[in-house]
Amino acid sequence: MRRALSERGLVDWEALAATDLFREGVAAGRLVATERVAEPDGLPAELDAANVAAVLRHERIPVVSYPYEWPFGMLQDAALLELDLLLAALDEGLVLKDASPYNVQWRGSKPVFVDVGSFERLREGEPWAGYRQFCTLALYPLLLQAYRNVPFQPWLRGSLEGIEPAQMRALMSFRDRFRRGVLTNVVLHAKLEGRYADREVKRDLKKAGFHADLIRANARKLRKLVERLRWEPEGTAWSGYGEANPYDEADAAAKEDFVRASAGLRGRRLLWDLGCNDGRYTRIAAAESDYAVAIDADAAVVDALYRALRAEGSETILPLIGDVTDPSPGLGWRGLERRPLADRGLPDLTLCLALVHHVSLSGNVPLRAFLDWLAKLGSEVVIEFPTREDPMVRRLLDRKAPGANPDYETELFERALEERWRLERRETLPSGTRILYRAIPRA
Amino acid sequence: MGGLLAYLDPGSGSMILQAIVGGVAAIAVAGKFYWRRFLGFIGIRKRDDS
Repeated sequence: MRRALSERGLVDWEALAATDLFREGVAAGRLVATERVAEPDGLPAELDAANVAAVLRHERIPVVSYPYEWPFGMLQDAALLELDLLLAALDEGLVLKDASPYNVQWRGSKPVFVDVGSFERLREGEPWAGYRQFCTLALYPLLLQAYRNVPFQPWLRGSLEGIEPAQMRALMSFRDRFRRGVLTNVVLHAKLEGRYADREVKRDLKKAGFHADLIRANARKLRKLVERLRWEPEGTAWSGYGEANPYDEADAAAKEDFVRASAGLRGRRLLWDLGCNDGRYTRIAAAESDYAVAIDADAAVVDALYRALRAEGSETILPLIGDVTDPSPGLGWRGLERRPLADRGLPDLTLCLALVHHVSLSGNVPLRAFLDWLAKLGSEVVIEFPTREDPMVRRLLDRKAPGANPDYETELFERALEERWRLERRETLPSGTRILYRAIPRA
Repeated sequence: MGGLLAYLDPGSGSMILQAIVGGVAAIAVAGKFYWRRFLGFIGIRKRDDS
């Protein structure tokens, strides 16, 4: 991963590189490891070499992810990291020139700030240029979820600029206005923005004596505000799911053995666990992989998994919100600024446990279409098929018209699997209504 | 992602807010900011950007 710097960018980089903040940040893993490389060889053609003063090389982040794939706790921790770095930067005569949570990436459950180009020398008398962006992309999404129990992910996925102050004000109820942080950061902010749109105020503020202590005071307040926010998810689709089935523990134990044996066959670079739930099987398979992405459509489940992984200090399992039937699209300019997950690295082992029936029966994706997509990933697969007799499958089918999803049959599924993969192992779980397969790509 | 120019508009209202919410230290700055605006408004003081 490399970054080209302009003359001005080089001066800012040198200022950053000389600080304790940088040395300690990199050592603690909060800042991406970065070094200047001598040879600006092989620069992309669109870069004008005359404007490139230096080239930096960054440590590679295993899998890039975006705030609309993070649960509440991850966006909260990313926001806190940015504020901590801002405060540390101010002590060194530097400032962050923006505040995008897209500048934060993850090593498992550990946030890493990756945009060293965001640090610049502080210009005395100027307010923090990143404050508005901090509100629109971090603070407001967090407030929306904490105070209104509205998920922020669909909004951030729908708008790369986040929630505007006036929009956020409209989303707050009268009672919300008196909750911590709303009156100033939302109501007053929206009011001032409406009033001073397109008016030059920077010079006036400087003449009025604006100084860096005000940025510091504001950042401390924001930190306290963000740190205290809590999201208490209400019961979701999966809570208590499966407890009624007496075979569950026996099935789970057999599944663990199957996953352990399959994952242990050879070392893996990247594991995907689609429908990871509490991460029970992710952890087992991840022990045999360099890195794992644990994906579930349920934000509450992913939030709980993130908190557990963070408590364990995991640096190898990245928990993300994602839905196989509605995956992260390409977004931004030409759809290339934010990429679909498959463009950010393909797995060599994919787990699909307790997933197929949801994709087929709830998502209404034909089984063969799902398997076509899965096969395109090119990875080995451990996949579970709950038969039509399975209690969960029956529950899903009971909601539908008789004869719905005729393609959901064990034989048809198996045949479709064999057309796309070589089946290495097949095992019926103790309940008798769930079958596990290990399938490897046909060369 | 190459080729995109990163420039962030800090927002005029967002900048003023920072002079208002900064606690005790902000009172003097916000007061002076608005006093200067007021003088400009009643014509005692010329606007800087004119």
